[in-house]
Amino acid sequence: MTTARRARSLTRFWSDRPLAFKGLVVVALPLAVLLVALVSLYLASMAEARAEADVRRAFAIQRDAYQAHAMLAEAAAGVRGYVLTGEERFLQSYAQAEAQLPRIMDRLDTTIRDPIVRSQFEELRRLSVRKRDGLAQIVLLVSDAAAPRTDDDALTAALTANKLVLDRMRQQIEDLQQRESVLLNQRMSRVEAVRDRFLAVTAVSAVVGVLGSLAAVYLFSTGIVRRVRMLERNAGKLARAEPLADLPGEADELGRLARRLTRASALLRAREHALRESEERFRLVVEQVRDYGIFALDIDGTVASWNLGAERIKGWTSTEILGQHFSRFYPPETRDDVPQKMLAQARQAGTAEDEGWRLRKDGSRFWANVVITALRDGEGNLRGFAKVTRDISERRRSEEALRLAREEAIAANLAKSAFLSRTSHELRTPMSAILGFGQLLELDEEQFAEQHRSAIGQIMKAGRHLLALINDLLDISSIEAGGAELALEPIEMGALLEEVYGLAAPIVAAAGLRFDLAPCDQLATALADRRRVIQVILNLVANAAKYHRTGTRVRLSCRTIAGAVRVEVEDDGAGIRPSAVPRLFTAFDRLDQEDRARVEGTGLGLALSKSLVESMNGAIGHEAAKPGARFWFTLPCADATARDPATDAAKFPGEPFACPQT
Amino acid sequence: MSANLISGAEIQSRRILVIDDEQANVLLLRSLLEREGYREITCLTDPTKALAAYVDLDPDLVLLDLMMPEMDGFQLLEAFARHDRPDEFRPVLVLTADTTLPARRRALALGAKDFVSKPFDVIEIGLRIANLLETRILYERLRISERSGQACTGHNAPEI
Repeated sequence: MTTARRARSLTRFWSDRPLAFKGLVVVALPLAVLLVALVSLYLASMAEARAEADVRRAFAIQRDAYQAHAMLAEAAAGVRGYVLTGEERFLQSYAQAEAQLPRIMDRLDTTIRDPIVRSQFEELRRLSVRKRDGLAQIVLLVSDAAAPRTDDDALTAALTANKLVLDRMRQQIEDLQQRESVLLNQRMSRVEAVRDRFLAVTAVSAVVGVLGSLAAVYLFSTGIVRRVRMLERNAGKLARAEPLADLPGEADELGRLARRLTRASALLRAREHALRESEERFRLVVEQVRDYGIFALDIDGTVASWNLGAERIKGWTSTEILGQHFSRFYPPETRDDVPQKMLAQARQAGTAEDEGWRLRKDGSRFWANVVITALRDGEGNLRGFAKVTRDISERRRSEEALRLAREEAIAANLAKSAFLSRTSHELRTPMSAILGFGQLLELDEEQFAEQHRSAIGQIMKAGRHLLALINDLLDISSIEAGGAELALEPIEMGALLEEVYGLAAPIVAAAGLRFDLAPCDQLATALADRRRVIQVILNLVANAAKYHRTGTRVRLSCRTIAGAVRVEVEDDGAGIRPSAVPRLFTAFDRLDQEDRARVEGTGLGLALSKSLVESMNGAIGHEAAKPGARFWFTLPCADATARDPATDAAKFPGEPFACPQT
Repeated sequence: MSANLISGAEIQSRRILVIDDEQANVLLLRSLLEREGYREITCLTDPTKALAAYVDLDPDLVLLDLMMPEMDGFQLLEAFARHDRPDEFRPVLVLTADTTLPARRRALALGAKDFVSKPFDVIEIGLRIANLLETRILYERLRISERSGQACTGHNAPEI
């Protein structure tokens, strides 16, 4: 458990190191192993050299010891020969030993290291000194004896002693050699051991180096490569917009790269999601629009998308129509040129609009309003066209119906005008003869008897009354038919009332009444037909004068009320009976027989006035005054919008156009 | 003032052509004219014969009704205008029962010199007829004096 955790944390530690560090480790590991191997090799070779030197020294010691021994043996033999013979020549080997032994001894002295051997050597050196001394004594004795031979016993003793020393020396050398050979064996075996160790170290180093390198490279490469592969897979997924696999979050460059990739993917997905949502919304909106056929065309005019509205209007489903050229929506007579013209125009001007017949799938036609818009990308390259089609057959039908109705109305109006003109002619023509001949008779009335003159007068009176009736009737008819030509213009009511006052004054004066004109609001300006307004006011004033039995005056006034000009004609006579008021404006409803007898009139005056005022968008009415009657009518104010500013400015310089409110 | 220049007899001697499809109206106009002392009065109730009469008669004044069957007064006004020289002053007095504004305007635009709506005042129409004839006579005199003036200058011209 702990080991596993430690291994994991180690792996983690390793993973977290930067790639440069990992590379360094991978390269350095075999190098270190190699270095260790070299060092061990060096140490081993040093040890071997040392061991070999020891062996050589051991041989040298053995050789020198043997040589010393041999030299002493030869010297002893020589001395013995000299002793026996007395011949000087036997002393040659002795002299040689005397000369060389110290050198050999010195050499041994420097060569010997082993303490046991050294003690043996020291003994040997002592013995060799004694031997040489012995030999020298013997030589001395012999040389003396040669002359006077004095002491044989001494010589024998010397020889014996010498012999003992030599034996001991021989023994010593043997021991020494033996010891050296033991040492040699030891050293030889040590050299062997060192050599074996060296071989082992080299072999182990090689194996460890190679395996370690391989392991490091394997671990490094498998780790890195595995992670790079994972990264590559993630990059591929990113490109395909798939969700990325989770990677362990190492702290090295690859780990950082993986994290960045993950973040980029998250951002990309968020953006894609938002885009898809917006696209989806847009698509739903476009697809679900039912009243407009909305579809896309590619650059050549091939249908690339199709919505519900298009399906509903044109009848094709999207699978049936996608990939087909949009010219098939056009009837044969326009199919060859209009579609191309539309595209060309849209390409040039950005948009093209058209109204015309289009075909449904079933071959039926509908009247369409079509707008084609060129679709361009950010660089301004044409990507295709958007086409919005509306079925406006219904609207066209109603427009057509409206047009027909208007034409019919105009025709009816013309017919009515013609009828009125005709009627006027047909009624007036006989009147012309009646009144004309009547007048001729009147002119020659002195030729006639009194009763005939009276008859002529009755004819003329009745004829004139009939003519007045005809005129008023035709007037009312033409107004009610809308045939009366109204010349609506802004009229300054103050000035108009003054004009009417002048015209009506004789009528009022003839009735023996006072005629008052109240000062008018200066700004009161009505939109009306001047001639008709005068006609109405004259009518009202004449009525006031005609039917006035008890009063003293007639008063004409004018003021502005909300959005309108109000004109009043007021008298202080007997007034109108309340029971008669509802029928005041009805044609031919003259008030009573008494009046009818006394006052001339057609009975159409108020009816005609009502028609005239209403035709000018006004109202007319009556109210009781105390005493007397008050007739009023209103006309709409001429406001700025209803006028032609140029002519108005000329007519009413400096005057505001707005109707003053009271 | 004009009475000083032109005598009643001269006016009354002028030729008047009356065109109206209504017999009663023609009769009324004839009575009226005769009462005023006119002697050269030609009356027609068939408008299709009007142009021929106009050409044959060469009237000094035409009293013309507008609303007639087959050929109305407007057509006749156009025909008269085509027939006359541009500098001719031959007045046409339109008498019509159609008092609508378009009719009045159209008739005057086509060359009618005066317009009286029916029924008319007998005295007024007598005065208008006399005025129109007087204007025609004055116009003729002006033309004659112009011609003689031209003749004089034409005569003297080579000597200058």
